[in-house]
Amino acid sequence: MTISDERSTEVSGPVSGHPHNTRKLSWTQRPGLLSQNLLTAIVFGVIGYLIGHWFGNYLASGYSYIANSGQNSIANTLALAFGVVGWLGGIGALNYPFAKLFGVDGLEEESPVDNWSKYFRYSLDHKIVGLQYVVGVLLFMFTGGLLAMAIRTELLNPTTHIFSPDVYIKIVSEHGTIMMMMATSIIVGPLGNYFVPLMIGARRMAFPRIEALSFWIFTAGYMVIFSALPYGGFPTGWTGYAPLQTQAGPGMVSYLLGFAVIGLGMILAGFNQAVTIINYRAPGMTWSRVPVFVWSILATAALLTLATPVLFAGGLFGLLDKTVQTAFYVDEHGGSSYLWQNLFWFFGHPEVYIMALPGFGIAGELLPVFCRRPLFAYKVSAAGMIGVALLSFFVWQHHLFQSGINPDMRPLFMLTTELISIPTGFIYLVGMGTLYRAKIRFELPMLFVLALFFNFLIGGVTGVFLSDVPVNVTVHGGFFVLSHFHYTIMGGLLFAFMAGLYYWLPKMTGKMMNKKIGKVHFWLMFVFFNLTFFPMFIIGLLGQPRRVFTYATNLQGLNDFSSISAFILGFSFLVFFFNLVYSMWIKPEVAPANPWESLGLEWQTATPVPSYNFERIPVIMTEPYRYSEEGAPAFADFGPKDAPDSPTHTMA
Amino acid sequence: MSNSAIQSGQPSLSNEEREYEMRALISSIWTGGRLFIGIYTFMLASLVFSYFYLRSSDTGLLWRPDHVTAPRAFGFLIFGLSLVTGLLAYVGRKRLVMGSFQDFSVAAWSGVVTGLIALLLQIIELSHLSFYPGSSGYASTFIGFAVMNIVSLVISAYWLETTVARGMRIRREVEGENPEFSSNPRARAFRADVAAMSYFQVFLTLAGALLFAMFYLM
Repeated sequence: MTISDERSTEVSGPVSGHPHNTRKLSWTQRPGLLSQNLLTAIVFGVIGYLIGHWFGNYLASGYSYIANSGQNSIANTLALAFGVVGWLGGIGALNYPFAKLFGVDGLEEESPVDNWSKYFRYSLDHKIVGLQYVVGVLLFMFTGGLLAMAIRTELLNPTTHIFSPDVYIKIVSEHGTIMMMMATSIIVGPLGNYFVPLMIGARRMAFPRIEALSFWIFTAGYMVIFSALPYGGFPTGWTGYAPLQTQAGPGMVSYLLGFAVIGLGMILAGFNQAVTIINYRAPGMTWSRVPVFVWSILATAALLTLATPVLFAGGLFGLLDKTVQTAFYVDEHGGSSYLWQNLFWFFGHPEVYIMALPGFGIAGELLPVFCRRPLFAYKVSAAGMIGVALLSFFVWQHHLFQSGINPDMRPLFMLTTELISIPTGFIYLVGMGTLYRAKIRFELPMLFVLALFFNFLIGGVTGVFLSDVPVNVTVHGGFFVLSHFHYTIMGGLLFAFMAGLYYWLPKMTGKMMNKKIGKVHFWLMFVFFNLTFFPMFIIGLLGQPRRVFTYATNLQGLNDFSSISAFILGFSFLVFFFNLVYSMWIKPEVAPANPWESLGLEWQTATPVPSYNFERIPVIMTEPYRYSEEGAPAFADFGPKDAPDSPTHTMA
Repeated sequence: MSNSAIQSGQPSLSNEEREYEMRALISSIWTGGRLFIGIYTFMLASLVFSYFYLRSSDTGLLWRPDHVTAPRAFGFLIFGLSLVTGLLAYVGRKRLVMGSFQDFSVAAWSGVVTGLIALLLQIIELSHLSFYPGSSGYASTFIGFAVMNIVSLVISAYWLETTVARGMRIRREVEGENPEFSSNPRARAFRADVAAMSYFQVFLTLAGALLFAMFYLM
């Protein structure tokens, strides 16, 4: 396919290839105190919270059961919901939906100033949204990590306690919920938003406003979930099981609404990514030429858009139980506590793959770069990702092996769960095939990728055991399960995220991360991750249950070993943060245009990436990953160079 | 490079590139519309699943004591108005395709009105129930249905209203040219939006028929 060189004389408007147009700015978007930014979002959020609280009290004032209970879930729910709406209104997310009522179809909402303040505004540039997500997920991770430190501190001693059992379970619950919500977005949000358009040769996202909205909803969801702590927390763990959910205090409202709000953000993010990948691929980028990271985001987007609505509905039903006194999950009134388990896990198990697939996508993307050879069995990798996504809808009942499931159904779900290890195995073997006899460049991102494969092997194999009913019955609710999912999620996803950050930060910021400090970070994180979580398999097999603040005294040695390792693991993240600050601000080192000699499209445009991504729409000429192949054509043709910031056309 | 392009700091595109992006935009609206139906299907399916789960569990024989039913008159009215809204959106789109923006406009505005009346009735119905929200499994799922129906009716009316308002604005912008057949980028995007909107309205009508049968007839 060729693109002619007929130059247009008119490019503005909604189809100029860039979401920004040249309309006159409304007063709310002009520079100055009245422009909409993070500060106005906070102010409007607080005002919304107060109005919602007042309104909830007003509505519920006539009900004696609320007046006598000392707890008004209607007021709590409306306060948080109005707070979210105020937050979104304050940042400017509601300007366009409101203007649409009057027929407007392209209101400019981009920050008119090109300075640091654009990162604190409602931006339609996917690169800015990606960077906003980086900060957002790191904040999430830091909060959840601090709670993890509190948990391990409590478990240092089985008889001397820092927290009461009640406070301990609330810390565990908050840690689990924050981490799971963060993990669903940790790659799709920052790296997916930033790099998917660049990797497919697009000049924009399909729906930039929806993309920006997904981020600001994500931040609102974080605050709602975090609000559970001042509300007294919730005692259910991250799974929120009824009837504990029904009996819990006002913190439970934060959990249910927080999940629903973040779920909405996840649906929007997945929707936008899927539509962008399907429709905005550059000419010549057939499905067999799509980068494997983009495949992983597409499979994840499918899960986000189809599984998350069920969580959203489940959260809505829970909120109705808490506010208008329905009985969805109340057995005594015709409901069923098992209904929540079904709705929750119908989302919850695909969520595991929402977290795992982008990690594998990063691994698949980085392996050819650092092995300098094509990705082994590229099509099998893509098929494996789609296979995992499809099968993940048919396994949720294995979480109910111990509860509300007909025993005769157990073998079916045992089988489907074991089946999913086949496409997962495909993806793993693609990695191994690429590594086999490769001349590996042991750069920092590659170290994290190798660690991912090591960790995921342990997490994956123990997962196969857990899908078997007899083993599941034996170790259910114990530290064995806890260790398994930390190995898959933290050992897989978080290591992949770190690999992605070290690999792509030079593109995002134009600066290299310090290698020496980075290696200290890697080895601390890798070694002490394993020393923290591997003993937990043994602890679990010896019978220690999850979510309990005390344990048998003979397990103190292993627990102390695990706790001390966890503290050093936590310290490794401080090393990472130090490296980030050191490399970006204290002693920045300018990154080369293509520091890893990648063939990826994202490295072929200028750094910093211009707002329109590519001066010309690239035309894809061949398959990706043709490293070390003599005579291989360039991956893409960018047309003639006619601008000062035109990208380099030479492709290794 | 045009003044506007210089102002926005982006290089100009060739006609072929512009057309490529225009097609991407239109197919995005097409894909997005269908995907939105998929998202909504899974959300409504959660309600349907809950209904049949609680019905078959019949915990403590409290699925539906005394066979209580929500007010049928309200149910028929709300569903009837939703059906009319869906039909108006469908017929309006057909008339637009045939070249009559005026017919589309009348149908769409009528659809907005019927949708808003249905929304009002759905809210009023909640204050005329013969059961408490937590009195049974049926009562709980009915409240869930009513809330979801309110959301559906709001989305339906909003999408209809914004589409027709946009159409009217575009009609003014492409004065002298028939917007139904105009090659103006905004007119093309508008037509894609109308198609996506009308599919969603038809979907809502079909889903509404299923839910109406579940809660009022079964």
